[in-house]
Amino acid sequence: MRGVRRFVDDLLNRRRTRPAAVDEADESQIRTAVTLRAAGPDSTPTDDFVNSLRERLRTELDDDTSAAHEPADGTPVRELRGSSRRRFVASIAAASAASVAIGVAAGEALGGGGEAVTAEPGEQTITPDNGEWRGIVAAKDLPDGAVRPFDTGSISGFVHRSGDQLNAVSGVCTHLGCKLALDGPARQLNCPCHNAAFGVDGAVLHHRLPIALPPLPKLNVRESDGVVQVFVPPRQA
Amino acid sequence: MVSDDSYSDWEAVYNDNVDRVYRLMYIKVGNRPDAEDLTAEVFVTALKPLRLTASIGEVRAYLLATARTVLAGYWRRTLGRQITRLEEDWALTEPVNDAGDSGAVARAAAILAELPDRYQRILRLRFIDACSLKEAAIELGVTVGNAKVLQHRALRQAAAVADRMEG
Repeated sequence: MRGVRRFVDDLLNRRRTRPAAVDEADESQIRTAVTLRAAGPDSTPTDDFVNSLRERLRTELDDDTSAAHEPADGTPVRELRGSSRRRFVASIAAASAASVAIGVAAGEALGGGGEAVTAEPGEQTITPDNGEWRGIVAAKDLPDGAVRPFDTGSISGFVHRSGDQLNAVSGVCTHLGCKLALDGPARQLNCPCHNAAFGVDGAVLHHRLPIALPPLPKLNVRESDGVVQVFVPPRQA
Repeated sequence: MVSDDSYSDWEAVYNDNVDRVYRLMYIKVGNRPDAEDLTAEVFVTALKPLRLTASIGEVRAYLLATARTVLAGYWRRTLGRQITRLEEDWALTEPVNDAGDSGAVARAAAILAELPDRYQRILRLRFIDACSLKEAAIELGVTVGNAKVLQHRALRQAAAVADRMEG
């Protein structure tokens, strides 16, 4: 009950709401307070806010640009449109730690433009600090060309053998974290959420998202004593 | 602009959508400072990885998906319960009405209409007309203490009405 009052007071005093403990019975009062308030006087943004956020975004996005690579010969960018598109793609390279890598997708985003935006490395390998080698499948059960899903509790993914190469990738879509499904015959990993698809080597095959989708992170993988092993974090207690 | 077109640069994305995103957030949280924070979070999160080759429709869908996640995060941080959700898929495409969101006004009016007169008046004064407790008390001819109690009771009953309407 106290939580409700404090929350409602914050609403009415036009303060940022503070965290509060509320129970299920309080929910409808809070929801109703929001509904009533939605008909109140602050329903449109102020010019000050709109302008200052634009400035903030300009600073953040342009800072990223300066950190990205310019063409070596200093060629001016062809046109405004290309410039802003390029700026966008380039900004990803310096974006948050969460955006892993964009090699493939950045190339795709540039279309046939041929302007060189050298993004950060095209792929990342998951190397956990306190990792351990964990067996996931008998080597004889992973013949040349085969793909197998695995789940070690801490990481799920797919391993495949191509010639004498072993390759393991994360099984989680790099967009929003949906679990990928193996389409064995097509040798691809499909995301059930937004129809993105990755190759079994982790490369982005196709998607319709308006972002540069990073490839799947790889895992260290080896064969030891007739067992295929991946390097993963220890099982959680 | 038709939705097959695309935006020329990030500022065009921003200019075309900032108003709608703010209005949407305001309806969902009922508070200017929070709605401003969340609007900023949506654009900071969405603009960095955005690819301008996408169509306007795709960009709006992406902004909406980002707004949905940002709103859910807000409720998780503040109350640990998802009080409101962003379910309207059309929210960023419909034309903006200068008078504010007519749907929100209608929803509030429908709830108030079910309440006794004094409850209606205190809630209207406090929530919609943004009167202070003191101003509302004067308007109603009661003490500040009475106005406070009246407001709590009125909100509780309004919540019961809103639940009934939804159910």
